[in-house]
Amino acid sequence: MRFYKNFILPYLVWAGLLIVIPLIMILIYAFTADGNSVLTVSFTFDNFKNILSSAYISVFWTSLKIGIITVLICLVLGYLMAYLIAQFSEKVQTILILLVTIPMWINMLLRTYAWISILSDNGLLNSLLTFLGLEPMSLMYTDFAVILGLVCDFLPFMIIPIHTSLSKMDKSLIEASYDLGANKFQTFKRVIFKLSIPGVVNGIIMVFLLSISSFVIPKLLGGGNYMMVGNLIESQFISVGDWNFGSAISFVLAAIMLVAIKITEKFDKTDE
Amino acid sequence: MKRISKLSSGLYIFLCFAFFYLPILVTVIFSFNSSKSLTHFTGFSMRWYGELIQSSEIMSAVYVSLTIAVLATIISTALGTFTAIGLSKCRKVLREWTLNINNIPMMIPDIVMAVGLMILFSAASINKGYMTMLLAHICFCTPYVITSVYPKVRELDINIANAAMDLGATPWQALWKVIIPMIKPGIYAGVLLAFTMSIDDFVISYFVSGNGVKNISIVVYNMTKRTNPTMNALSTLLIGAIILITVIVNLAPRFKKTRFSKHLSKIAGVLGIILLISVLIFSYNTANLQNTLKVYNAGEYIEEALIDKFEEETGCKVIYETFDSNESMYTKINSGEEYDIIIPSDYMIERLIKEERIQPIDWERLENASNLMESILDKEYDPGNKYSVPYFWGSVGILYDKTKVDKADLKDGWDLLMNPKYKGNLYMYDSERDSFMIAMKALGLSLNTDKPEEIDRAYEWLLEQNRIMSPVYAGDDVIDNMISGNKALAVVYSGDAAYIITENPNLEYFEPHQGTNLWYDGMVITKNCKKTDLAHKFIDFFLDEKNALTNTQAVGYSSCITSAYEEMQKTDYEGVSAYTPRQGNEKDEVFKYQSQKTKEYCATLWTKIKAEGVR
Repeated sequence: MRFYKNFILPYLVWAGLLIVIPLIMILIYAFTADGNSVLTVSFTFDNFKNILSSAYISVFWTSLKIGIITVLICLVLGYLMAYLIAQFSEKVQTILILLVTIPMWINMLLRTYAWISILSDNGLLNSLLTFLGLEPMSLMYTDFAVILGLVCDFLPFMIIPIHTSLSKMDKSLIEASYDLGANKFQTFKRVIFKLSIPGVVNGIIMVFLLSISSFVIPKLLGGGNYMMVGNLIESQFISVGDWNFGSAISFVLAAIMLVAIKITEKFDKTDE
Repeated sequence: MKRISKLSSGLYIFLCFAFFYLPILVTVIFSFNSSKSLTHFTGFSMRWYGELIQSSEIMSAVYVSLTIAVLATIISTALGTFTAIGLSKCRKVLREWTLNINNIPMMIPDIVMAVGLMILFSAASINKGYMTMLLAHICFCTPYVITSVYPKVRELDINIANAAMDLGATPWQALWKVIIPMIKPGIYAGVLLAFTMSIDDFVISYFVSGNGVKNISIVVYNMTKRTNPTMNALSTLLIGAIILITVIVNLAPRFKKTRFSKHLSKIAGVLGIILLISVLIFSYNTANLQNTLKVYNAGEYIEEALIDKFEEETGCKVIYETFDSNESMYTKINSGEEYDIIIPSDYMIERLIKEERIQPIDWERLENASNLMESILDKEYDPGNKYSVPYFWGSVGILYDKTKVDKADLKDGWDLLMNPKYKGNLYMYDSERDSFMIAMKALGLSLNTDKPEEIDRAYEWLLEQNRIMSPVYAGDDVIDNMISGNKALAVVYSGDAAYIITENPNLEYFEPHQGTNLWYDGMVITKNCKKTDLAHKFIDFFLDEKNALTNTQAVGYSSCITSAYEEMQKTDYEGVSAYTPRQGNEKDEVFKYQSQKTKEYCATLWTKIKAEGVR
């Protein structure tokens, strides 16, 4: 069996080159100034001090706020959906889950693009409202539009892991709970929800990860005045050209994400 | 009771699916629309499908997306499967380390991974393009393969492989005949995940690709600035393909015993070889840069048919790429991208001259030079037009709705944008330089000031405007929104105004009396361009009277060619003042190149203003 041991070597080299080194380079850029050439390294904390200025802090705050709201909405809608799907026969479940998956295969940008024609000031929704004799609403370029876009794109990432853990669940445990005198609510709280926590944790991490760093949806549905961390990073790398500051923001974003994952996973373990 | 709960649960599931499929349905319906509108269905037509097939840009994007997805899936599945098998057999410390590193790309935001790879490629001076995109895709797909295969390998009974070897199988035979078949479900899951991740990826591809290599997502991203139903047509075809594949996969078990399935592996093999060959041809094509010209222009700023015409006339190939601002153009060339011809604005031309990034124009070689309009030549940004040939020119002004804006208010000039009467009824342009220009002109300052106290005053003006007026800082979507008459006021470029007014005659354009920004975009040849002959031919091509007319008709901006400029005033843009920007007002100024310090200062203030708007 020793033979197979070496199979790991190509990937070690690969991961070293294309995962570890890029991260180290972000770190180097984040702690240096004028570092578009790596040769002139001058250590500095300025990039991080810069993040602390109120404008950038509020960008982080917006991203966190939007990320958390999106996760909460996805959790409520997604859990209910996964739970209801799990009640069907196995054959129907496969079809329903397939229907949840199909939108994920369709280009995310194209789907977001379609929301623009629904939500814009003279879009389909407002045409419908005027047709019904109601006041048209200005929906584009609002928190609402951004969150709607995020939820629509990322909800499947919540439904699927929760459904997986619900469908794996041993049904006899639920019966046992009823036999022992628990009512519906108690059974749900103490048995079903507890057993589905691994799925919930996975879903929360996925959705939070995707929504906090997203920059296309805020840009398309939130308009030019919508700044999330992703937009800030993009503008630093693509239009402003300050790679050092951009790297510092990326570093902080990655750190926030890792902390969030650790917290969520702890919640999983303590509940076990 | 039970019936009601069943009904409501059915309703909930239905609503959820309606939410998922509504945008998809809208996309499909409007792909058959006969007009360009994405909000009003005017009649059934297949027009956009025709345009889709003719668009070489979209077709090559489809090709790039598919080949990258297939190659990345094959390579990352092989790499991931081998690694997963190796992982189960190696020492514990090594295993845990590898798994931890492997988790990184899945645990940190993809934008962080993307900028990391972008820095890596530019530091290693690898030219961004097809290869970098493929490497990046393998990089983020492999971890998903490993996480789906590894659990299956761990479930595997080691003794089975041992038994095979005891019976005389070599380790490789044991791998192929025993181990791989047993972990097949894990591998399939990995394949599916890798393919999905790769084909849908935008963020990473956006940061690591270049040299005209674009996948579908990048093309969509560049197109979203103006409505373009071709995207809907493409999307509909993709949706159709996905549904077809899903149906086939789900019906496949029924075909199991047919002859088709026996030959399935052979068919797959043949397809794989065809794919490989076509990839080789493609990479050969892109590597063969002998007779190609790389042109870098602002988005939606050319009649693309003219590029085809130029290619036909000269027999060369044009790699055409677009940028969304002068600044992003500069960042791109600064990161090592090379182009032959760039079409930037005045102040950026000045900067490129100063930094010696462009070479002088050989006017002798431009046969059509005499067609150029005198009055727009020899400006301060490039005295004597030594380095640049004008492409389009114009001004910045206010577009207003005659039915909503009181004519008497126009005398306020830029301060009209601060009039509470029009609160929430105005679009600003999402560009820091243009916005600061407005504030400086409104305050009677020069738009090229670099005094921090004057910039601070402009900042205060914009901040106050943001508070009083709550404007929308929009990009090119202003064009569609103003055509639909969504708001009363908008800050626009003269060329866009001309186009908008022809579509919505309620609108009118004016240049405020406090002065505004006059701008000139010019074609320049980069220092590292070696095909100077071809480059001059390209420039000369756009100085041709007929070509210039076609171009200005398509784009709507004011031509630099006398005959085309006059022709347009008589035909398409008769009576549209926006097509003829103000000339000779001494308060009007051209942008000058800002020092890095001033630029960064303005950028920070601009971010602050926009962040203020969110709260």
